[in-house]
Amino acid sequence: MTDAIEPVRVNATVNGEQVTREVEPRRLLVDFLRHDLGLTGTHVGCEQGVCGMCTVLLDGEPVKSCLMLAPQIEGHDIATVEALNGEELHPVQRAFKEHHGLQCGYCTPAMLMTSLALGRRGVPLDREQLKEELAGVLCRCTGYQKIYDAVESYLGEVAGNGEAA
Amino acid sequence: MKPAPFAYERASTVDEAIALLRRYEGDARLLAGGQSLVPLLNMRLLMPAAVIDVNGVAGLAEIREEGDEVVIGALTRYSAIEWSPTLGTRLPLLTETVRYVGDRQVRSRGTLGGSLAHADPTGEMPLAALALGATVVVQGRDARREVSADEFFLGPYYTVLEPAEMLVEVRFPVRPTVSAVLEHARRHGDFAVISVAAVGEPNGDGGWKSIRLAVGGVSDTPFFAGEASEILSGTTLESDVIERAGAAVVEAADPPDDIRASADYRRHLIPIYVRRALELMQARRSEGAT
Repeated sequence: MTDAIEPVRVNATVNGEQVTREVEPRRLLVDFLRHDLGLTGTHVGCEQGVCGMCTVLLDGEPVKSCLMLAPQIEGHDIATVEALNGEELHPVQRAFKEHHGLQCGYCTPAMLMTSLALGRRGVPLDREQLKEELAGVLCRCTGYQKIYDAVESYLGEVAGNGEAA
Repeated sequence: MKPAPFAYERASTVDEAIALLRRYEGDARLLAGGQSLVPLLNMRLLMPAAVIDVNGVAGLAEIREEGDEVVIGALTRYSAIEWSPTLGTRLPLLTETVRYVGDRQVRSRGTLGGSLAHADPTGEMPLAALALGATVVVQGRDARREVSADEFFLGPYYTVLEPAEMLVEVRFPVRPTVSAVLEHARRHGDFAVISVAAVGEPNGDGGWKSIRLAVGGVSDTPFFAGEASEILSGTTLESDVIERAGAAVVEAADPPDDIRASADYRRHLIPIYVRRALELMQARRSEGAT
């Protein structure tokens, strides 16, 4: 097994666009997104699955992109924070702005994507359950209260609209 | 850090995965949820020649009822366990235990089979499998074998799995039981300092026909506390019985001294958590919960 390692072709949908790239098997998904696709909105933190900075959505579910290999997304759908780009702020972004749900902003992409998945899941959450759901993204500035306020407000808005944002 | 180079293989059937494991002669790792394997690759604590992705193997992510058993496929993800109405009714201990696993993102990816095969001494799924008396189904090249959870774990990150075997499903007996699980960790979602799971079968007179107690974080592997379970079975969980059971678990445990807690502290916690778990189980029975 000393042969040169074969690159792997990856076909996937990223933020609604079909992408095809050849990667080294050991390419982490987060590095694939940042270096190969130039999507630097997804941040890198610990690279061992603890901090949650690199959270993206895989087929709608939040995952840590430092704990997936790029070849694993073959045939799957990935959404990064860039998916929220638009003329106007996305409702989840607006909620974070209105409630001051960020200071340095480093965890914000991960918080936004985790919140987006919660909105789509559409299960009502009390404050304790909400904390539980967001526990996989660490924030070192805000003390979390403003983030919880923002997400609560966003989830309330989604529930009020009776549709997944 | 970034992983050292490895080859990437995709298996679409169990047989293919086993053939690949054989081809790499013990120098390949199966990749399921990757929530334990990928950190080890990133930190270069593991540098296998190949990673065999089994996420595309069909039919291994099912939860099905078979007679008085529930059979869960090895690739069933934590979130599927957490949200399964079948498991919520039939094996509530499993859905309760899953809530101690990592965080939402980890539960999106991590799998039951991966957790058992990884055999972390603090692992939650091994703990639940032991308390529930589960059977692990393992596929090799020529044969399939069944191993009781009590005999599956051999040491830290070490099980009876041979290099070219794959864990394919886990069978859980379902009986009318009451259960409880408790875990203490230094930080929310962190690895357990201690975890205790209790499964009891009530009898008609307010006592317990049988109790299975399992403990995690206080030995080389999570383990079934056989002697303590024997002490507890057939009793009404009087305070002194619980105390004797706690002492028996302390005797059976061999707690590590590590970055999370000292051995002495873990020993101190054992009787406390054994008592709390049993009292919680008792209280649930009084509430009529199962």
